[in-house]
This record gives sequence, C-alpha cells and structure tokens, in this order.
Amino acid sequence: MSGALAALVLTAVAAPVGLFALLGAASVAGRPLTERWTAFLTGTAMLLACTALCIAFAIHESTPAELRLLSYGAWSGSYSHAIGLEFLVDRMSLAFAALSAAILGIVAAFSNRYLHCEPGYNRYFVLLAMLSTGMLLVALAGNVEVLFVGWELVGLSSALLVGFFHERPAPVSNALRVLAIYRVSDAALLSAAVLLRHVAGSDSLELLFSGAPALSLAGLTPVKVTSIAVLIIVAVAGKSALLPFSGWLPRAMEGPTPSSAVYYGSLSIHAGCFLLLRAGPLFEQAMAARLLAGAAGASTAVFAAMATRVQSDVKSSLAYAALTQVGIIVVEIALGWSTIAFLHLSGHACFRLLQFLSAPNVLHDLHGMEDALGGRPTPARGYIEALAPRRAQLGLYLFALERGFLDSWLDRLVVAPFTTLTRRLTILDQRLCAAAAGASPAPPDDGSDGHDD
Amino acid sequence: MHGLLPCGDAVAAAVEPPHSLARVVDSLAHLLPAQGPISIFIHHNTLHAYEDLPFETAVETAAAELGREPYLSEARYRDKLASGRIRARDVAELIDEQLGVRAAEQVAGVPRGDLWRAIALHGVPSASGRELAWVLAETDALTRFRADVPASARSAFADLRDSSDPEGERGECRNVRRLWRACIAAAGRALPSPPPAAPQPVRHHDWLQIVRGIDIDAWIHPPLIRFLAGYLDQGIAHWAMPDRALGLHRCFLEIYGAPLASQCGAWARTLPSIAAEDRAAQRRPLESLAHSLHVLGVSEGETAAYLAAEILALRGWAGIVRQIEERPDRVPARSVDATLGDYLAVRLLLGRAALEYAVRQTGTGSTPADLRIRLCREFSPASPPTVEERAWPLFHLAQLCGIEAALVDRWTVGDIAALETELSEMDHIRRRRLLHQAFERTIRHRLYDALIQHAPRPAATTPAFQAVFCLDEREESFRRHLEEADSACETFSTAGFFGVAMYHQGVVDAHPRPLCPAAIRPEHYVAEIEPGADRLVRRTRHLHRRATGFLGYNVHIGSRLPVRGALLMATLGWLALVPLILRVVFPWLTSRWVRARDTTIVPSTRLQLDRDERQPPAGAYTGFTVAEQAAIVRRLLEDVGLNGRLSPLVLVVGHGSISLNNPHESAHDCGACGGGRGGPNARAFAQMANDLRVRTRLASQGVIVDDDTWFVGAQRNTCNNEVTFFDEDLVPLSRQADFARAKSAVDAARRNEAHERCRRFDVPRWYPPLAALAHVEGRAADLAQPRPEYGHATNAFCVIGRRTRTRGLFLDRRAFLVSYDPELDADGAILTRIIAATGPVVAGINLEYYFSYVDPSGYGAGTKLPHNVTALLGVMDGAQSDLRTGLPWQMVEIHEPVRLAIVIEAPCHRVRDAISQTPAIERLVRHRWLWIAALDPESGSLWELRTHGFVQHNAQHALPRIEGVSAVWYEGKHGFVPPAAISGAKRAI
Repeated sequence: MSGALAALVLTAVAAPVGLFALLGAASVAGRPLTERWTAFLTGTAMLLACTALCIAFAIHESTPAELRLLSYGAWSGSYSHAIGLEFLVDRMSLAFAALSAAILGIVAAFSNRYLHCEPGYNRYFVLLAMLSTGMLLVALAGNVEVLFVGWELVGLSSALLVGFFHERPAPVSNALRVLAIYRVSDAALLSAAVLLRHVAGSDSLELLFSGAPALSLAGLTPVKVTSIAVLIIVAVAGKSALLPFSGWLPRAMEGPTPSSAVYYGSLSIHAGCFLLLRAGPLFEQAMAARLLAGAAGASTAVFAAMATRVQSDVKSSLAYAALTQVGIIVVEIALGWSTIAFLHLSGHACFRLLQFLSAPNVLHDLHGMEDALGGRPTPARGYIEALAPRRAQLGLYLFALERGFLDSWLDRLVVAPFTTLTRRLTILDQRLCAAAAGASPAPPDDGSDGHDD
Repeated sequence: MHGLLPCGDAVAAAVEPPHSLARVVDSLAHLLPAQGPISIFIHHNTLHAYEDLPFETAVETAAAELGREPYLSEARYRDKLASGRIRARDVAELIDEQLGVRAAEQVAGVPRGDLWRAIALHGVPSASGRELAWVLAETDALTRFRADVPASARSAFADLRDSSDPEGERGECRNVRRLWRACIAAAGRALPSPPPAAPQPVRHHDWLQIVRGIDIDAWIHPPLIRFLAGYLDQGIAHWAMPDRALGLHRCFLEIYGAPLASQCGAWARTLPSIAAEDRAAQRRPLESLAHSLHVLGVSEGETAAYLAAEILALRGWAGIVRQIEERPDRVPARSVDATLGDYLAVRLLLGRAALEYAVRQTGTGSTPADLRIRLCREFSPASPPTVEERAWPLFHLAQLCGIEAALVDRWTVGDIAALETELSEMDHIRRRRLLHQAFERTIRHRLYDALIQHAPRPAATTPAFQAVFCLDEREESFRRHLEEADSACETFSTAGFFGVAMYHQGVVDAHPRPLCPAAIRPEHYVAEIEPGADRLVRRTRHLHRRATGFLGYNVHIGSRLPVRGALLMATLGWLALVPLILRVVFPWLTSRWVRARDTTIVPSTRLQLDRDERQPPAGAYTGFTVAEQAAIVRRLLEDVGLNGRLSPLVLVVGHGSISLNNPHESAHDCGACGGGRGGPNARAFAQMANDLRVRTRLASQGVIVDDDTWFVGAQRNTCNNEVTFFDEDLVPLSRQADFARAKSAVDAARRNEAHERCRRFDVPRWYPPLAALAHVEGRAADLAQPRPEYGHATNAFCVIGRRTRTRGLFLDRRAFLVSYDPELDADGAILTRIIAATGPVVAGINLEYYFSYVDPSGYGAGTKLPHNVTALLGVMDGAQSDLRTGLPWQMVEIHEPVRLAIVIEAPCHRVRDAISQTPAIERLVRHRWLWIAALDPESGSLWELRTHGFVQHNAQHALPRIEGVSAVWYEGKHGFVPPAAISGAKRAI
C-alpha cells in the first residue's frame, strides 16, 4: 500500500509541476497556448491532483501509520549533504493538499471565464500553476528544502499577481511592498532551515513534526528549539500577515478578483498557519515561542476585527475579516487545539473564497437582504468601544481606518532610514570613484527616491 | 470668531470673502463626472458640460483640460482604413470639403489637398529625443522607403524596386540616405523655431513634481480616499464613521484634529495642529478653504485655476461628492451631507500639512507660500527641437509626396516654413479628427443606403397580435425574430416606461424606486399587492422571506466578526464548497434550479393603480386617477401609431437585466426607466388599457379600444432572454388562443435572438438556438462572467418612423427604433414630443459608450477585473484608487465609437421644426453631437442635415437581399454585419 501511496502523492505533485513547466515553457518560447488549451490543461491537472490526493487520503486512513515519510531520492547534493525529494504525509497534510487542489481547480474554472480576452490571460495561468506547485509542495513537504521551494513559489507568484496590472503605478508599487515583506519572511524560514541543519545535522521535517523524543535524540536543546520556533513564527507572520506585518494585506488587493480570492482569502494566507500547525510538536517544546505565537495571533485578531468593521470597500473589508480568523486560528494552534484549528482553517479557506469571488456582487446581495428584511438592517450597537469616552472612540476609529498606522510606521522606521543609507552610500561610492578617477565628483541623484512608496 | 486667534483679523482681511469663493467652486463643478451612485446607473453624456461647443472642439478641449483622449489612436484608425471600416474616399471627400478653395493652393510645389490627403491617410510618425535617435539607429527608417508610400509617389523614387534584388536594395538605401541628408540640410537652413511653451502649472504639487520629482498627492490621497469612502459609506462598514452629522469638513476636523492623526505618515506631523487650528477658529468649510488658499499664497486671480487643478487630481471622488450635494435623493441608503466646498477644504488641509513637510524636506524656503516661486527659479525649460527632430517630419512628408532629394535641396526657407505650418496644422489631433469623421461617415452611410433601398413592407391588415417594446436597440433583434417567428404579428416601440412615470414598490421590495427617465421626478406611487392570497399563506411567505434575509444578513455580518465568524467557519465553512462548485463549474444548471425554486413560490399579485387618499411613501399621490390613466393610454397609442388599428391582443414588453457579480448591472437596465426595470411600467400600462372606465373615457375622446382587445404586460430580461408575463390569469377566455400563439412566437424569438447574440460571444461556430438560449441563461447566472451581456454596445443609429420602413431590415442590434407614423401627425406635434422624450436618452447612451470606448481608462472605468465596490457608491481599481466612473472595458469592447445617426421618417421641414422646438436637442444637433437625417415618407429619399441645410444622400452600396431568416445572413460571422433585407421566409437554420 505504501508504494501506491507514494505513487499517488508523486502524481499529485507532478501534475501542477508539469502544468507549470508546460505553460511556462510555452510562454518563454513566445508561443503561449490558446485559452482553451490552457484552461483544459489546468483543469485536468487540478482534477488529477485532487483525485490522487483523495485516494491517497483514503489509503492512508485505512492503514495504521500516523506519519509517513515518502522519499524519492535526492534531487540535489554535494559530497557531504544530499537534498532529498521527500514528502511527509499524514491525515492533515493530505487533506490540506487535496483541499488546495480542489480550490485551485475551482479558481481556474472561474478565472478562465473571468479573464477571457484579457491581455494577461496566459501570464495569469502561468502564475496560477506556480501557485499550485508551491501550495502542494508546502502542504506535503518532507524536508526543509522542499518546503522552502514551495514557500518561495507561493510568495513569488503572489507578488507577481498583485502587480498583474503593471501598466498602472499603484499595483506595481504595492507588489513591491508585498515582495519586500515576503523576503523578510523567507529569510526567517531560511535561517530556521540552516539552523536546523547546523544543530541537528538533518533537514527532515519529520524531526520537527514528530515531538519530543526525536528532538532530544537529535541533540536539540530547548534554547535551540525555541530559536527555530521563533524563526518559524516570523516566517509565518510575514506570510499570513500577522502583526506587525499586516500592512501589506489590503495593498495586495490589486490583482484580478480571483487572484485576491485564492491568495488572501483562501490558500496563501493560510500557508503560514498550516506550517505552524504541522510544527505543533516542536512548539510543545518551546513555551516561549508558543506564547509569542499566541500573542501575535491574538493581537492580530483584535486589530483586524477592529479594522474590518470600518473598511468601506468590499475587498479591504474581506481582507481584514479573513485576517481576523487567521489570527484566531493561530491562537488555537498556540493553545494546542490542532484539530479545531485545522477544521477552522479549512472551513475558512472555502468560505472566504466564496465571499471573495462574489465580492463584486455585494450591491446585489445587500439589496436582496434589505428587501427580504423589509428595510436596511441597523447594525448592532454596544460593541466594546462604546464604553470608551468620545475622544477615545474617535481615536480608535482613526486607528482602525488608518489600518493601525502600520504602513506609516514601517515607512518611517524602516524604509526611510534604509533609503537614506543607500543614498548616502551611493554618494560615497560616486565620490570614491571620482576620487579614484581623479575627476570632480558627479552630482548625486536627486532626492526623489527617498519617498518611493 | 476671529477673536480666537491673535492674528485672526489680519488673516481675515487678506482672505477672500467666501461668497465669491462659493461661486468659483460652483463653476468648477462642470469639470467633474456627473455619474451618481452606481446602483442606479443612468447613461449620460460624459462631456455634458461641454455641450455648448461643437463636438470636435468639445472633445479636443476636454481632452486637453482633463488629460484624456479625444478620439481613438491614429493606429486604430489606420487599422480601420486597412480593413475597410473607413473608406479612403470618405477621407478625401472630407479634406476637400474642409479645405474648400485652399485645396488647390501650392505648398512647396505640392497642392495642399494632396499634401493633406497623404498625411491623413498615411501619417507622420512622431519621434523626438532619444526615441528618434533609437529609430534612426536601430530601425530601417534610413535604409528603406516607407512601405506605405502611396502609388502616386512611388514613381518619383526610381529605385524603389523589387526588394529581392540586392543591387536595388543598396540603391534604395542610398536614395533614402540622400533624402534624409537633404531634409537635414533643409531643417538646418530653416528659420529657427520658437522654443516650446514652458509648462505653467499652478499647483504646488505640480511644481514639486516637475522640479523635484516629489508627488505629495501620493501621500495625501490614501488617507483622503479612506476618509471620503468612510464618510460617504452607504453600508459596507459595520462601524459607521462617527460625527457624520456634522458635515464632511467638520467631521474631518473632529477626527483628524487629534494628535494621533500625525501618525498618518511622516508628512502628517503638522496635520493635527492644522486641523485643530481650523476647529478652534470655527471656520466654516468655505472660510477654511479661503484661509488655506491664503496660507498657500494663492492669489485671487489664480484661485479658480488652482482649485480646478486640485479638483481634477481626484476627479471621481470629487464628482460623487458633487452628485450627492446636487441629488441627495439619489443616495441609496443613508443621507449624508457633503458639498464640494467641504471636500476642497479638507483636501487643502491635508495638502498644507504635506507641503509643510515637503518644504522642510527639500529646504526650499520657509513656508508653502513661497515654495512655488523658489521652485520656478530652479526650473530649467525644455530646449527647442534639434535639427534631426525638425528634419524627421519633413523626411516623411517628402516620401509621402514623392519629393526627391534634388527637389528638397531646392526648398526655400519659405517653402520649409510653409511645410512646417501645414504639418503643425495637420497635427496628430487633426489627423485623428479627420479619420474619425470619415469613419463615422462610412458607418452612417451604410444605414442611409439601406433605408433608401429597403422596400417598405406593410404589416398584415389584421395582425394576429401586436407587441409594443422599448426603443432599446437590444429589442431590434428581438422584434425582428418575433416577426420572423410569426409573420402575422406587428411590433411597435416607444420609450420603455410606456408613459407611466411612477415610484413602484414590489411586494418584496423594501423601498419604492422611481421608474421613469432620469429627467422626470415622478409624482405617483404604485404598490404591488397580494389581494387574493390567504392570510396564512401570506404570513408564511413573509416569514420565509424574513428568515432568509435574517440568515443571509447574519452570515454576512457573522463572517466579519471574530467569535461568530470562528464558529461559522469551523463548523459550516466546508459547506461553501457546494455553492462554489455549483455556481462556478455548473452555472447553467444552477440557474435552472434557482429559477425552478423561485417560480414555485411566486405569489399572485396585482398593481394597486387606482388613486386613493393614503399618503404615499414617495411621490405626491398614491395611484393614478382614471383621467390620468386615460391620458397615458391615449398618448402611447397616438405616439406609436396604434390608434384605431388595435388587434385583439397587444403585448406590452418592458425590459431589464439581471446578472451576477456585476457592479454595473444597473447600466444594462432600461434607460427610459432611469436605470430600472421596465416590467412594472408595462404591466401598469396594460392594466390601465384593460380598464373599462379608462376605455369609456377614451371613447368619449374619440379613441376607440375594442371590447375584444386585451393588453398583456411583460418584461424581458435582456441578459438571459427570459420573458415574464404579468397577470396571465386575467386574460379572457376568448383571447386565450391568441395569447397561446403569441407566447409560442415569443418563445421562438427568445431562442433565435439568443442565437444571434451568441455570435458576439465566443461560442463555437455552429450553435443551435436552443443551446444558445441555455448559453445566455448560464451567462446570467455565472459568478465568473464579466460580460453577462453586451448591453448597448455597438449602438450607432436611431430610426424614428413606421415599422414598415425597417421591417425585415437586418440592423445588427445597432439601431434604436422608435415607432412614429408621419401620416397621423400633420402638425408635427407628436414628432416634437417623441424627440423631446427620446432624444436625450438615446444621445446619452450613445455618447457614454463613445467616451468609454475612446478612452477606456480615462473616461471609462477600465477593466472590470480588479474593480472593488466602495461605499456602495462606485468602484475603485484594486486596493485603492480614484472612483472609476464611466463604463468598464468589458461592456464596451465590441463597440464602434460613432455619434448617433438619427433618421426621422418625416418631411424635412417637419423635422427641422420639431428639432427647433426642443432646445435640449436643438443644441445637440447644432453642435453635431448627433446626426439628423430626414427620410421622406412620400418619395423615400433621404436628406441629411448639414450646416447649410438638408443635403440629399445617394446610395453608394447595394443592399444585400437574403432569402430566409436573419440567421442565414449573420451565421458564422463574428464582427459587424452590414444591413441586409431579410425575406423572413422560414428555412431550416
């Protein structure tokens, strides 16, 4: 049975990889496939992956093992280290991978009609295939390297789709911002991977995901475990837009509606939670990290719940509503309620996808509700802020409206010093070059890039 | 109030009195889009404010003032020239007409007419600076002659021969280089050209951007948009903005006067103090505006220009504020108080904070007031064009006119100046204008040709049934297919509110809604009631509805709240997969299922039309008196020419459109119902005309409606082609057979019309009508479909006249048709009122499509894909942007931007009189925002109204005559299909 399982899982991963390779190669060759072929191949690949994963799930459930490491040999290696192509399957990873494939199939069907005749149709589907590959790798990864590749593909395709309408400046600058935050998150994950390799001499996630005895066998001290766990939390916070990284989420609503839906309503935003969920056993060894995750989740949930209530455009409103639930899911994971967290996560991914996809229908929906209720429903009163004095209420409102001022703080505390530094270095560089060449220094560039968004 | 500030009196003395500022602000409002909230989309001329100018002047002025495109790009017109949508002959004719005697004058040895023709038909590519350097270095511009050198010029270049011959190629290269050198020499000896005009911006922002590359709008727009959207929000936010009752400006001061507001960005450090100072001084919005202008150092003379530039920076949002100020009754839910003055005051407060920061950052001066002067000094003006830049157009001109290098060498300084003058006169705008005019002429003449040659087809003397439709061009095809399905029927059309201007409230509607053209404010209120229903049944239905609404609302809200949301997601979240898969993967099946469910619970209702004394929730009266009803019926029968020739069964068909995931849904509804659905109007009309009291009163006025005759109201959903009949149960027994016949004809028309529409969608070439109907039904129910229907796209014509003139004429869903019988209207009174009622509606639709197509991202709303519904008032692009007005690209993509050509079947003098009596239309006609032609009822000749009077049109294209039904003509064709006479005889499709 294990052989069948391995074959099925490999098929499920190979389907999107093949799709990505095919669509990508056709695009690179300058002869993109027609819309019909693209849609047909994407649909087939997703259906294949989903079916294979469902069968794999059934096989896995019918046999006793809890956690299995499927190894397909090394895909890269040097004299001392080999990087294996390994998948780690258990009930949760198979279910999440199957759900991802199903959701991606639905979104592909949606996008095929939604993006019909759009100049970027082909680019969109290449990126969707990239996301599919990334999601399945993240869901099934058996070692840190596979996980990191998947993580990167999800992040890269996400940023490129935010900048999908690159003829306007706003999507491009917002995409850049998303990418920058993702890089921080990626760096944290990479550090965690390096640390793991360094201290445990292994890249296997099985080690992390299987609990205490294995960890102590591998010689990981509590401090090292906590460091790895904290790095993972930073990675997750970037990817899932937890505080203090939440500022990018509303900016990511620049792409076509289905891409916003699948990334920030459904899959990408939950990728971090899923990683946290799988690393649950590791967190059992690291109380401080659990507390940190819990604090990040709880504060994000409170902040996002406040923000979503004042947003007056439908996509931002949904983005913060999704973030509220993501925060709560993280809290559930920190509390160790992994089954509940998984149900919550998967239910949320489905439900929010539907809401995002039908976001343009909001006028129609609200009108229908109003008719059925015989009038405009009056929003319930008596939320917590009603207790605060009036000036504090205004302040809270402004705080929520301005999305916690996160972006402006980021600009002032990180971006501005950084650009100033690079500008100074540029000037220094020019002076040094000029001095070396014996000429008078060239005038420095104007200060415009200091305020680059 | 000035006492609060130590320097208050000094400031007040310098500040302009607000009342003149109010005038300035009012006068600026015309720069803003006049589009109201998106849920009631009313088509209007995008450049309504420029209607006092001739069309060409207006679009070009607006393009310059607003930074938009007046026409399509030159390349698009060249494509049309190549594909035959523009005829070169029309271009030549237009040049001759516009040049008159100047055409024959010689310019550097070439007749001006030839010169213009060459430039207009072939174009002179513009290039300058680095682009030109690249073109010269990297393309074959200097090795080959242009590929499109006209035949007349070809002979001049002896070496322009077969390119396969290497010797010839080298010879050509030599010649081209020689010509280029000659042009360079010519440009070198020409008189120096005047330096290009330096930009004269008035805003601080523009100076900062030009000189320092700092964009302060990028700082202040995000918080400004968030604030405006929050303030104007109609129900998306769950926590409404506090203090909205205080007004926009005051509310802003309350919220942003707190120290916390300085966290909005690095630039916002002084924002709280600026806002608090405004609040402490208790300035009203215009006073605050005046104060800000003073602080910014804007002099009185430049106030208007300064504020105009400020207003245009975020045109869509300023526009919606203005709309709310002017038409508070159109706001969907919450009444909010906002004026343009408020908006500007807030905008300048934010701008001041940003400028103070910019001043500190850049070290330019100490206050924003002298910022502009300092930046102006730093500004380095653009240099005059180089020799290459001047030689480049001459080089092309020489090629196009077949002027050899030797001749170029002989050009005098005067010749060169004359050529440059011609080139600047035929600049890219002028070329596009000419090509556009030719384009319109080509399209228009196809209709004229068709109308002249189409033999009138009288209807059967005793039609089996008659049907009155809306004048909408989407009904052109439906009527044609209905007549093809049952040749014994007769169709008419009129404005789709059928003369019934009312507030209508359906059984399930929460609020009444106006159903009549936007220009009319209805006085009558009509409710739909459930008279017969059992109390218990009604109660159950009511509870069922309430429960559904309650559930829907709680899911909507619950999903946004933390705890309820968590419970919902963790327990029921997976269930969302069911609707997802059904709606996205199987939309058609879902639509069948939903409709089957809806029809089982449809209650039997009636309209409460009779006047009673109850106070209506909207309008002045509840219901219509019998006299009013009789007047409505009489007017419609007279208008469409039905009076005295009613058949036993008359269908009255309104229309609307229902689609999913489409914020612009209302734009597909009936324009004559003010962006509403016309079914209730049709139903009300039928009920009035069936009323015996009304018939008695009509009889006393000489309008006879037979006892035999029965009217049935209906509504067609133009998206899924469903036709709903109202009050079917009232059709008398004697008319049942006729009604059954009419229904089966309507069913056939639904299928065949869907089939015709499908040729515009991407469906396989061969497509049976039944599958076509399923296809459009699926489209309407598809969450993923950005083009549920194409709405008014491709509209280009309007024919006002008898159906005999257009029956059997294939007009490709491009023509608004209005029924009018010239023989029953000797004094022109009916024509006058028809033109007054329909002219503005059709012109508004046509011009809105024109502008949204010509500049899809400027006048239109751009692509729909990233649209984000904001405040329930409009859409933004993606995360945040200006409010996007106009139509999205997916609605207009198959359109051809041409002004409407209205052909009226009436003698010329009557047409002229009718137009001159309607000032709104007269203005449009005089300034050529639409074209008018008269089709003589007697002779069948066609006369187009030009500046100097009516000019007869002579047919240029023969009208194809097709045996069979419409499908024979259009089947397998994807693009535009020219008019054709369709015999209508049935053959297998």
